[in-house]
Amino acid sequence: METAALLKKKKRKNNTVIAVMTLAVLVLAFACLFAGSSRMSFRDCLEALLGTGTAANVRILWNIRVPRVLAAVIAGAGLAVSGLMMQTVLNNPMASPSTLGVSNAAVFGANLSIIAFAGGFLSTGNNLSNLTVGANPYATSAMAFLFAALSTLLILGLCTVRSFSPNVVVLSGMAIGAVWTAATTILQFYATDVGISAAVVWNFGDLGRATYRTDAIMAGITGVGIAFFLLLSWRLNALLSGEAAAKTMGVRVEWLRFLVMLIASLITAVCVSFLGVIGFVGIICPHATKRLLGQDHRVSIPVTALSGSILLLAADTFARSMGGGSALPVGAITSLLGAPFFLSIIFSRKENRRC
Amino acid sequence: MLSVENVTFRYRRQGPDVLRGVNLELKPGEIGILLGRNGSGKTTLFQNILGILNPRSGTIRFEGEDLRSLSRAQRARRIAYVPQDIRFGALSVFDSVLMGRVAYFGMKAGQADYLAVEKILRDMGLEDFAQRNVEELSGGERQKIAVARAMAQEPKLMVFDEPTGNLDIANEQQIIREAKRLAREKHIAILSSLHDLNRAMEFGDRFFFLKDGVVKYTGGRECFREDVLRDIFDIDVKIAQVDGQPVILQKQEERI
Repeated sequence: METAALLKKKKRKNNTVIAVMTLAVLVLAFACLFAGSSRMSFRDCLEALLGTGTAANVRILWNIRVPRVLAAVIAGAGLAVSGLMMQTVLNNPMASPSTLGVSNAAVFGANLSIIAFAGGFLSTGNNLSNLTVGANPYATSAMAFLFAALSTLLILGLCTVRSFSPNVVVLSGMAIGAVWTAATTILQFYATDVGISAAVVWNFGDLGRATYRTDAIMAGITGVGIAFFLLLSWRLNALLSGEAAAKTMGVRVEWLRFLVMLIASLITAVCVSFLGVIGFVGIICPHATKRLLGQDHRVSIPVTALSGSILLLAADTFARSMGGGSALPVGAITSLLGAPFFLSIIFSRKENRRC
Repeated sequence: MLSVENVTFRYRRQGPDVLRGVNLELKPGEIGILLGRNGSGKTTLFQNILGILNPRSGTIRFEGEDLRSLSRAQRARRIAYVPQDIRFGALSVFDSVLMGRVAYFGMKAGQADYLAVEKILRDMGLEDFAQRNVEELSGGERQKIAVARAMAQEPKLMVFDEPTGNLDIANEQQIIREAKRLAREKHIAILSSLHDLNRAMEFGDRFFFLKDGVVKYTGGRECFREDVLRDIFDIDVKIAQVDGQPVILQKQEERI
C-alpha cells in the first residue's frame, strides 16, 4: 500500500499549493483595496471599508474599488483558465483566448457601438463624468459580446466541416480575427476624433468599468465554466496523449473540443465585453502553472485560475499606483509582463517539452 | 473474436483506396502480426479497427457486434491501443496508467480503479516508477507505461503499432515477452505490426501479409516462404535453419 501513501502525500501537497494561492488571492485582493488614484490614506480606506469614513470615501471604496477587485479576481481566473483549456484541446501551446479572434470580434462590436451608433455609454476608468452621457450602460458591452459570440459560433460552425482538427480551428480563428481587425481599422478611419479616442480608450482593458452587476454576470459564467472543466479533467488529461490515443481510451474528442472551445470563448467574450482587452493572462498563467506543477488538469485548472486572479490583481494594483493620479490601462501592464515571459519560454532549454 | 470483413477505406473522397477489401480473423488469446511494406495500409487498418477512422464499406465485428454500434467508451473497454508515437502529458506514471480507466470511471476515479492500477504496476514491475514524471522516462520505459495504460482498459484485444520501433534489442525482447505473457495468461488477443521478420516469426501465432490494401496471405509460420516474402517485400531472401529454427536472411546480392 505504499503507492496509496505516496498518492495521499501528493494530494496533500497539491491541496497545500491551492490553499496557499487562495490565501494569496485574498491577501492581495485586500491590499488592492488600498491602491487607487483618489489619494485616500490607509486609515481613510480602513474607515471606508467599515463604513465609518466620509460618504465620498465609502462610495469610492464600495462602489469603485470593491467591484474592481472582484472583477480582477473573476476575470483573471476566467481568462487564464480559458487559455489553459484552449491550449489543451487545440494541442497548441500558443493558443489563448485571442486565438479564435474572440477579442478582435469584441473590439469590433464595441467600436461599432461607440463610433457608428455613437455609443450608449462609455465608462473609462475613473472618469465618472461619463456617467451622465449614456442612456444604456450596457449597449457597448452588449454589442461587444454579441460580436464575440457570433464570431465564436461562426468559427466553431465552420470547423464542424473539418471535424475540429486543431490546426483548422487555430487557422480559421486567426483568419476571422484578422477580418474583425481590418473591419475595426476601416471603422476607425471614418470615425471622428472624439469617436476614435473613445474607441481606443475602450480597447485598453480597464477593470474600473466593473460594477456589481457585471461582476455577478462574469462570476456566473466563469464559475459554471470552471466547474464544468474540472469535471472533464480526466478526459482533458487523456487528450494530452494525442487525439488518436484519446479516442481509443473512450473520449469523444470532437465533442469535447467543441464544448470546451465554446465555453472558454464565452467566458472570454463576457470578460472582454465588460472590461476591454486584457492580454496575455491566458498565456502566462497556464504556462507558469504547467511548468511548476505539471499538466494534470485536476490541479492545473484551479491553480491556473488562482494565478490568473493573482496576476490581474497585481497588474491592476501596479497600474493604479504608477499612473500618478490616473490609472494606467491594466491590459498594457499584463502584456508588458507577458512579453518577457513569453520570450523566456521560447529561449528556455526545455523548449522541447510540451507545455 | 475480431473479424474484419471486406473493409475498404480512403482518406479523401476522390482519393485512392488505401484499403481495398481487407479480410482478417483473430481468435481470443491469439497473436496476429500484420506484415507489409511502408504504405501498405497497416496503420490505416489499425485505425479503422480502433474507430479512429471509419471504413468506407465493409464491417468490423468484435465478438459478433458491429463496432459501429458501440460507443467510444464501450469500444475502449474492449480494444486498447499502444500507438507508435507514444505521448503523455507531464503526468506521473500512476496517473498515466490510471488514465486508461477513463472509459470506466468517466469523471472521478474510485477505489477500484486505484487498486486495478496498483495491481498492473506490480505485475509489470513498475511500482518504483509510480510517482515519476512520464516525460523524464526513456523510450523503453514509456513503451511499458503505454502497455500498462492499455492493460488498465481491461481489453480483450490489444493493438500494437510497431511496438519495437524505437527500442534497443533488450527492450524489444522485454516488450514482446510482456505482450506474449498477456496473451497466454490473460487470454488477450493481440494484433501488432512489426518490421523485423525474424522477431515477427518468434512473436506471432498468425500472420497477415498486406500488400496494396489487401491481405494477400494469411496463416501460421509456414507462410514465411521465399516466394511470399518476395511478393510482399520485393526482396530476395533465403530461409536458413539455425538450431532447428527458421531464420530469414537477405540473399548475398541483396546485401549492401
